Formats: sequence, structure tokens, C-alpha cells
Amino acid sequence: MESSDPTIVGRQRVHLRPATLRDAAPVTLHLLPCEVLANRPAPVERFFTPAIRQGPDGLQVSFRGRSLRGEEVAVPSGLAGYVMVTEGKGDGLRKQDFSESLKNGGDEEQEPLERDFDRFIEATGSFSRFTLWGLETTPGPDAKVHGALAWPDLAAAIHAQVPED
Amino acid sequence: MAAGVDRGDAARAGQHVFLLPEYLKDTSKKMKSGLMFVKLINPCSGEGTIYLFNMCLQQLFEIKVFKEKHHSWFINQSVQSGGLLHFATPMDPLFLLLHYFIKADKQGKFQPLDQVVVDDVFPDCILLLKLPELEKLLHHVTEEKEIDKKKYYKYSEEKTLKWLEKKVHQTVAALKANNVIVGARVQSSLFSGDQVSNDKEEDYLHYAHGLISDYIPKELSDGLSKHLKLPEPSTPLPNPPSKKPKLSDEPIEAKEDYTKFNTKDLKTEKKSSKMTAAQKALAKVDKSGMKSIETFFGAKSKKKIGKI
Repeated sequence: MESSDPTIVGRQRVHLRPATLRDAAPVTLHLLPCEVLANRPAPVERFFTPAIRQGPDGLQVSFRGRSLRGEEVAVPSGLAGYVMVTEGKGDGLRKQDFSESLKNGGDEEQEPLERDFDRFIEATGSFSRFTLWGLETTPGPDAKVHGALAWPDLAAAIHAQVPED
Repeated sequence: MAAGVDRGDAARAGQHVFLLPEYLKDTSKKMKSGLMFVKLINPCSGEGTIYLFNMCLQQLFEIKVFKEKHHSWFINQSVQSGGLLHFATPMDPLFLLLHYFIKADKQGKFQPLDQVVVDDVFPDCILLLKLPELEKLLHHVTEEKEIDKKKYYKYSEEKTLKWLEKKVHQTVAALKANNVIVGARVQSSLFSGDQVSNDKEEDYLHYAHGLISDYIPKELSDGLSKHLKLPEPSTPLPNPPSKKPKLSDEPIEAKEDYTKFNTKDLKTEKKSSKMTAAQKALAKVDKSGMKSIETFFGAKSKKKIGKI
């Protein structure tokens, strides 16, 4: 898709480090009803979190002077939430650990799962709920994200094995 | 990516918010490796798409992305633009295998599996051959012959249609169980709230057919439509008197940008609480039952995932 090197297309694997799924510390997530065009640290705990109040119709806060209403959304049962980050190349040490454990754990694979040009991703945080914010009113049950959260159940039906005749 | 250099909590260029099956955490106790994202062919579009493979449990997962305009995440002490939410859900590998069998069928002969599932562009397709109980799976969509203890397979459209029909029916059951509103009455329910549950069986079939069609090539989708004896999608009803949608057209520019997702007027729009301008188009989509997966996610669900 966006890979610049055509020889890599379809050949690169991104390995998820399984151990990080166990070790990921809980994170606090807010889904805001606006686009902040930045990916960087932000003093959420200084400005946002202390301003959250429990109102009559859900949580209240303001962001950039606009009033937000929020609700807690639970991750559907059977699922677990993770925040993941890809690692840059040259994470030498970690990579070596990984190859080491692969020797012990890798069963009868003839071809190694991990190749030189592969990349790695790891879970840095876990969550079982997040706060969904709407502008001025709570997003409510018809928010699109609730529809998306119903997807895993439907997917299970679509992809379940069908009985033989 | 700069993320690898600074391992501080928040200074990361790309943080991805994922929902994974819970059991991956438990099984990861036993495994040290083997969970990986690979690019394979999308059996519907023919484009490269990211899937998650669990080599330990030998399972395939598809990745869907929820994406709606004007969202961002606060993740602990950081901000992440886009507000994307990734889902990894188990995928029936037969949809992918089917792509290769249909392709190989042009040669019209029985072939061994490892000659069918070959792909220069997406060589990781060989991972599919490691999945358990492949023979049992292939039985649904192929004829087979055994010569000298080696199996040879040939695509069977007839068997495939029967298999897909079962898929459609089990999807219909799930749609009902999840109270997904599938009919054209989504719109009319704007005006009389009690019609919501009046979805007809045919609407469910249409909707389920649309969901399944996201996993098979167009020709097969058309064939399935005939097999199910679905009528041609009726031309959309003239839009019902659009009083309510009009309301949310009124506000000034800024208000429209930020409030359209929570405006109470959209309450009964269910799956299409998107841009008011796009509502009519979305309503049409609902009626035909096609591309319904997109009603759960944003329009460009495949784009960002390539960056993982």
C-alpha cells in the first residue's frame, strides 16, 4: 500500500511480541469528537482529567473552550484492548532476545518466521474501557463506534465453520 | 520511525489502538513468537491487505479499522490523531483459499494444494497451508481425487454456492441475535418508532449477502445472489419526507463539523449517523444490502493499516 520499496511489498512481516500482551500496563483512553492533528505527548492529566465532572447526563469536560459530554464504553466481552507501537529498525538487543526464544519455542517450522527485514510491534498499554466524548451531548447508543463494537459478534458468525451436509 | 529511539511513555509517532480476542493473551504464555501481521490478498478486492496470523494456534485473523471523521485519542499523557480503532477478528481461511482455487480453475484440472496456493506478490500465502484441518475445509468448495496417497483438488462452484448459502444463513441468525436493523425501514422508523422490528426475511438475506460479498469476488457474489434467488436490489424508495435530516443541515458551518455525530436528530438513523450530506447515500447502501461492513466502519478502512 504505502511501502516505498517494491521488493518489500507483501514480504515484510510485522511480529507482535506476545510477552508484551501480558505485561502491558493499563492506560487511560479518551476518544474525542474532534481531530487534533498531532501525535505527541500532551499534559492530559494537567488540563483534561481534573476538569472532568459527573453531570446529570453523563460526564462533562471542556476542551478548547467547547463543552463535551462523555460516557464510559466497555470493551465487548471476549476482547481485550491494547495500545501498540511499532519499533524502528535497529532495536538490536530486543531482536536478539526474540531470535533466541524462537529457537526454543519454534516447533517444526522449516522456514524461520522472522526474517532480517521484518519489523516488530509491541503492546505498550492495555485497556478494558475507554471514555467516548461527544460535543455538547453524550454520543449515546447510536454513536457509530457502538455499531463497530457489534462487529466482532457478526464476524464470528460470518467466519464460523458451517456444518457438513 | 522515531518511536524506537525514545522509549518514553508518550513520545511516539504512531500508537495503534487495537481490540484483540482475549485468549491471545492467555495463549501467549506458552508461546514466545508466532503472532505476526502479514500482507495477503484481499479475496474481494484483490488488493494487499493486512491479516494477523497466530502460528502457535494456527489461526487467521482479519483486521478491520473503525474510522470516523473528526476523532482523536488521548492515550495516557499523549494525543494520537485519527481516532482509529482496530479490530482483529477470526477469519475463515477458506475465503482466502477460495481465491486461489478460483484462479487455478482456469486451467480446469485437479492439482495438488501447494501448486494452487502460490503467489508471487504475496508469498506469505503459504502460511495458509499450515492451518489445521485444511482438507476438511477444502471439502466445502472443491472436488478432490487421491492418487498415490496424494490429494488433488479442483474448484467446484456448485459446492461453493452451497457453502456460501450456509454462511448467509448463519449470518442472518447473528444479525437477528444482535438486533441489527437491516431493512429500508431504518429511514421510515424516523417517523414511527415502532416499525423498527419489522425487518423482513428478505432484507436479512440481502444484508447477509452483502456482508459475505466482502470476502468473495464479484462474479461469485452475483452467482450467490442468483442462487439465493434474491431479487435485484430495488431502486431506492424516494427519500421519505426529510424533515428530521433537514434539521441537522441547518446549523452553521462549525456546529455542523462538530455536532453531527451526537445530534439527537440522528438517533434513529442507526448505522448511518455519519455526515448529514452522506446520509442519503448511506441509506441506499442499506437497502441494497451491499458493502454493509462499511456501515460498521469508516469508508477507508484499509488505508492506514498498511503503516503498522
